[in-house]
Amino acid sequence: MLYREAGQFKTSYGADQAIFPIRQDRIALVLFAGIAVLAVPVLASNYFLETIFVPFLVFALAALGLNILTGYCGQLSLGTGGFMACGAFFSYKLAVGIPELHIVLVFLLAGLGTAAVGVLFGLPSLRIKGFYLAVATLAAQFFLVWVFNKFPWWTNYSPSGVISAPPRDVLPGLAVTGAGGAPAVKYLFLLVFVAVLALVAKNLVRSRIGRTWMATRDMDIAAEIIGIRPLWAKLSAFAVSSFYIGIAGALWAFVYTGSVEALAFQIDRSFQVLFMVIIGGLGSILGSFLGAAFIVLLPILLSNVPSLLGLQISVEIISHLEFMVFGALIVFFLVVEPHGLARLWQIAKEKLRLWPFPY
Amino acid sequence: MNPIALRFGFWVLAPPLLIAAIGFGLQGLAAANSALFFTWGFFLEVLLAGLLQGVLYALVALGFVLIFKASGIFNFAQGSMVLFAALTLVGFIGMGLHWTLAFIVTAGVMVLLAMVVEKVVLRPLVNQPHIILFMATIGIFYFLDGFGQMLWGSDVKMLDIGITKETTFILEGVFEGGILVNGFDLVAALVGAVLVAVLAVFFQYTRVGRALRAVADDHQAALSVGIPLKTIWVIVWSVAGIVALVAGIMWGSKAGVQFSLALIALKALPVLILGGFTSIPGAIVGGLIIGAGEQVAEVFLGPLVGGAIQEWFAYMLALIFLLFRPQGLFGERIIERI
Amino acid sequence: MTYGAKHIGEPILKVDNITLAFGGVKALSDISFAIREHEILAIIGPNGAGKTSMLNVINGFYHPQQGRIEFRGVERRTMRPHVAARQGIARTFQNVALFKGMSTLDNIMTGRVLKMKSNLFQQAIYWGANRREEIAHRQTVEKIIDFLEIQAIRRTPVGRLPYGLQKRVELARALAMEPDLLLLDEPMAGMNVEEKEDMCRFILDVNDEFGTTIALIEHDMGVVMDISDRVVVLDYGRKLADGPPDEVRANQQVIEAYLGVSH
Repeated sequence: MLYREAGQFKTSYGADQAIFPIRQDRIALVLFAGIAVLAVPVLASNYFLETIFVPFLVFALAALGLNILTGYCGQLSLGTGGFMACGAFFSYKLAVGIPELHIVLVFLLAGLGTAAVGVLFGLPSLRIKGFYLAVATLAAQFFLVWVFNKFPWWTNYSPSGVISAPPRDVLPGLAVTGAGGAPAVKYLFLLVFVAVLALVAKNLVRSRIGRTWMATRDMDIAAEIIGIRPLWAKLSAFAVSSFYIGIAGALWAFVYTGSVEALAFQIDRSFQVLFMVIIGGLGSILGSFLGAAFIVLLPILLSNVPSLLGLQISVEIISHLEFMVFGALIVFFLVVEPHGLARLWQIAKEKLRLWPFPY
Repeated sequence: MNPIALRFGFWVLAPPLLIAAIGFGLQGLAAANSALFFTWGFFLEVLLAGLLQGVLYALVALGFVLIFKASGIFNFAQGSMVLFAALTLVGFIGMGLHWTLAFIVTAGVMVLLAMVVEKVVLRPLVNQPHIILFMATIGIFYFLDGFGQMLWGSDVKMLDIGITKETTFILEGVFEGGILVNGFDLVAALVGAVLVAVLAVFFQYTRVGRALRAVADDHQAALSVGIPLKTIWVIVWSVAGIVALVAGIMWGSKAGVQFSLALIALKALPVLILGGFTSIPGAIVGGLIIGAGEQVAEVFLGPLVGGAIQEWFAYMLALIFLLFRPQGLFGERIIERI
Repeated sequence: MTYGAKHIGEPILKVDNITLAFGGVKALSDISFAIREHEILAIIGPNGAGKTSMLNVINGFYHPQQGRIEFRGVERRTMRPHVAARQGIARTFQNVALFKGMSTLDNIMTGRVLKMKSNLFQQAIYWGANRREEIAHRQTVEKIIDFLEIQAIRRTPVGRLPYGLQKRVELARALAMEPDLLLLDEPMAGMNVEEKEDMCRFILDVNDEFGTTIALIEHDMGVVMDISDRVVVLDYGRKLADGPPDEVRANQQVIEAYLGVSH
């Protein structure tokens, strides 16, 4: 009854093209933002902030990036881990090399660098499609991780091959990286940063460039015949996607873990992010967040539920169980709802719109 | 001149010429750079080891090709099927079964697996875009990895079914010190050859084989002439499962049965790109090229950049190859119609 | 301007001696004809005559082995389809080629891609230049939606639409490009009589109101004879006839190709 749009008339195309055309959605969004900004940092313990909220936001950004490429432009990539590594090591070299550079600028520049690498490895997509491309992106995955692992220049010759994020403030006195960063500050910084980037992504996908991506995804030949250059459409998707993934990698190294080695970005990471996109919903910004939340929460649930039920299960078994549950869930979602959680959410909203009179 | 003879001549002459060219190239490089080392005997020894390693890649790639031919599905889970089969086999041997008996039981398990996959994954996803099916097989990949290790444990297991591992030196008269050859690798090559021959006969001359080729061409057309799609899929996945078992035995005997097997199997992907997704000879040739290429590159070029280029060499080779010949060496050229 | 009084101008597209082969099979051999400004040209012929191949050559999807194409006085031998689109050639397909995951509105908006100018940064911000542009193009698209009477399915994903409507959306997308030359590949295939009448009306209206030059492939002879100004007949990749509908109808070779001939 509350979720009704009857009586809300749009009198301009501008209003009709808004992201949230329904008033109730806008109210809900404000409430949600209020909770995220005010309530979460106060109520959640540092443990929860560091193990759930911070990784959730970092992963959401990575999933967003992959979703642009795979969900919107239809180019399957298994190189996410490699691109995240790019972002992490580029930002490390930048931050250490030019200490005056503001940390946000460091992240953005690292993102741009990753975008360039992404374009390079996106070139084969001009000739090949589908799983051929997936195999080609594996080359990026293995090659990039090898480069960062092999050449000590990237880690400033750290003997362990591990880089530690130098402490930096986002605003004077508010450290977001290094040991001095308070979890609540990190969380709020990420929240704002990721929200802005998500808004940018949303704007892109509802503008011309987003439509060229989707057209290329749905039918590349028809897209070409209405004047879309496949080269431009695919490479721009690779660039924007890698930009997001690179920033996610930088945030992973600097804000989430604080110290990282190249091996943290192996192929498992690529699959993990791909799963977020599939479970959350291909071609949905919201889905990237839902998928990230799901994949971050699931292992925590899996490792806590048995002990709550009084069962004793070894850590090893739990990690195997995690694999099985992930695998089964992927198949389940592809079979039952290929558009993922985002689609379920949409269906729920449509039901709610009609409730309690469904006809 | 007869084009078939010409083509045959090309395939006979090209490989030795290519190998010789690479050899001379490496020799030149080694002369110019002191970090590198080259002798012809050593080169051939590395090449041979690489080729035999390639046979093992080809064994894994074969399973991919089978499923791709019959259902157009790129089965990412083939690697985890190799691991799963090997784990199961070792598990049964551990229970005291003789390895031949364990082989038969494990083959049964793989058939069972094929039936489950068909029922749970393939049937509900029929007519979905291929990319969705591909992602579903990534799901199977994860599930099988977890399931196999849950059942049989995740520690490294030895698999010994009595294949010789003795090494001998051959051609001692020609090269200084001769060429070191591992007996095991020769057995692997033999097994690979037999497997390919059996599969070729199976595809070409049996009723099931013909039905398989029909399904590969067009699902709906095959259905309309009364070929039972479900049965065909179960058969193909079973055969792929048994091929995975054979590959698992060979890999497992060589490197031990462990989680990394599933990742080694990823190397079969560039093999497929090189050979073409639908060609059994392609899988073999692709496997040989990748195996030999990465071994030679690692030993003779690796020192230039600090080694471990084996990790990505195969993928890069495939990537570069894709730019010039997207359909692979033996694949069919894709003509798009609108 | 009322229908019937339209001015057919100079040739806007000239096709000279086009030969196209796939391997050893000749799909088109030595075909020449011209499309004049503002006219409706029908290309007819039995199945496999090379009609669709001809359209594919014109908009750059196939590259002929021989011959040349001149569009608006610019000669070309090979080009990519997106270049043809840039020059003002739009196209619909025999089997509908819509973007299935997108709504009707988005499909038609995609047809405006070439007309949009805002850069990546403006699109990322959305507010300002990009928003104004989006709204301006939305207005154009809404006009086309009104013109083709598809207001009710604006928000529907095109994959869910019935075939007849999909064809209409595809026409809308082509119109959104504001083309000089519109190629229609069997725009009425698989439609019932009512839908065909609607489609005929739209084609005539487009030609009439926007002055768009149209080349169409069609099997329904009644439709062809009714709406076209000129007819080109292809058979086995060769051109049999070229002229006004009445003349072509009386052509002995055409009758033989269609009805067969007794020996």
